[in-house]
Amino acid sequence: MVSALNLKFIFLLAWYYGFNTILRGPSYLVASLSTPLTLLFLVYILSHGAFVSYAVVGGFTALISTISLSSAGDAAFLRLQLRFQDLLVATEVGPTDYMLGLTLAYLVFSLPGIAIYAVFGAYLHLFTIINSLELTGLLVILVIATASFSFIISGLIKHVRNVWGIAGILSIVMTVLPPTSYPYTFLPNWGIWALSLSPTTPTAILAQGIFSLSPMYPIMIVILLSETVLFFVLARYLTRWREV
Amino acid sequence: MIRTEDIRKEYSDGTVALKGVTVNIDKRFTAIIGRNGAGKTTFVRILSTQLLPTSGKAFLDDIDLIREPRKARREIASIPQEAMPIGVLTPLELVKMYLIARGMSFKDSHETALKALDALQLREFKDKPTDTLSGGTKRKIFVCMALAANASTIFMDEPTTGLDPISRLEVWSALRMLTGNIILTTHYMEEAKELSQDVILVDSGRVIERGTVDVLLSRFAGLVRAESYTPKPGTTRIGGIYIRYIKSSEAEEFLHSGFNIKGITLDDVFIKHGVSLES
Repeated sequence: MVSALNLKFIFLLAWYYGFNTILRGPSYLVASLSTPLTLLFLVYILSHGAFVSYAVVGGFTALISTISLSSAGDAAFLRLQLRFQDLLVATEVGPTDYMLGLTLAYLVFSLPGIAIYAVFGAYLHLFTIINSLELTGLLVILVIATASFSFIISGLIKHVRNVWGIAGILSIVMTVLPPTSYPYTFLPNWGIWALSLSPTTPTAILAQGIFSLSPMYPIMIVILLSETVLFFVLARYLTRWREV
Repeated sequence: MIRTEDIRKEYSDGTVALKGVTVNIDKRFTAIIGRNGAGKTTFVRILSTQLLPTSGKAFLDDIDLIREPRKARREIASIPQEAMPIGVLTPLELVKMYLIARGMSFKDSHETALKALDALQLREFKDKPTDTLSGGTKRKIFVCMALAANASTIFMDEPTTGLDPISRLEVWSALRMLTGNIILTTHYMEEAKELSQDVILVDSGRVIERGTVDVLLSRFAGLVRAESYTPKPGTTRIGGIYIRYIKSSEAEEFLHSGFNIKGITLDDVFIKHGVSLES
């Protein structure tokens, strides 16, 4: 599979679309940081600081989810309004290259936010080498899962006027409700399973376990990996590459 | 050469966009003209491997465009209708990215992109985000991609729609610099006349006329178009205008009857079919 990928295109798209958007459109960056940072602030105020560690660890997850899910709007905009996807169809790029390129771009775009949370985490003495590496692995899986989910949604959107509304709703439902800023143990068992439909939930639960903030819930890694594979495969076929 | 056999396309909502198109396209510039919704874009999207037909065959030389899209994509470049550049990227970045997408190396893509930007006099804009550029310059970036791609067959879907006359002239000039065979769709008759050696007129999913501009116009030899804004006997209404084709020797008489007399242009090939449809 790797040999069939156009890696040059994937990295170039990630760099141009991720890094240049930060440089030339910083307002997008501020907008993407606003929800996770607002949640962090509210958690600090409402819990009198007790749950700040949860909000910082969950903040990485929320940030990646927010940016990747808002990409549903972005991918639909690129397809419907700019015809960027159509431009690429008649080249040697395939839908997997395009999805991976944009997904990496969103990861690049998330880096300044990740850096801010890393500063918070360091201030709270949350990090060790092991848990940092484990968190990094989790976030890479999450960005693939959520970006794939976004591509599925973007492929289903037929009119650009619906794009931003749907992306906004998704971003709230899939990042605010999951346990990114509170202990997952507060949720009833059925609530955990219901919210696990969003890959943000197993990621947030696993992150809390990795940082010893809550008990480890190992089955969540199976849920997360299964959702990632499922969403990626579905997205591959629903991106309306060569339309039927 | 492109060859199609009985291409049909029915969308999932039941819309029949193409009702059996069989053509050979072998000229350097071919224009596919037709009204909005005639089926031009559907046809070009099928030929450029972006859309699968419901049935029928299409070949580029010996490459099957339906079954061998990967092979075909090495030979073609396609600029979609209403394509707009990503605003935060510069012309140089966009052209390079397009070339990388076509499989070129980083080094070659940089040099080729610069040459193409030079050729189209876009060098001064190369590092400016495209959302700061004019509409005509944005369209020229796509022509620049096609130029840099050096493909043997290039599809341009309505390359000048929405542009002002000066920008349109600039894009036409840029299009003439492209190598390879160019198939463009347009609803500007003037554009077809200016650029094409071969014109395919499409309406309601079918090819209804075909030929060089001169051949298509020769069918109107000795005729002029009489137009009136009020109903007149023997005319056919198109929108608010009543039209009739008359011999040029009758022009004086019709002028006195309240008609405006217009010379024949390529528009009339188009209108004539509109007239017959309205009738």
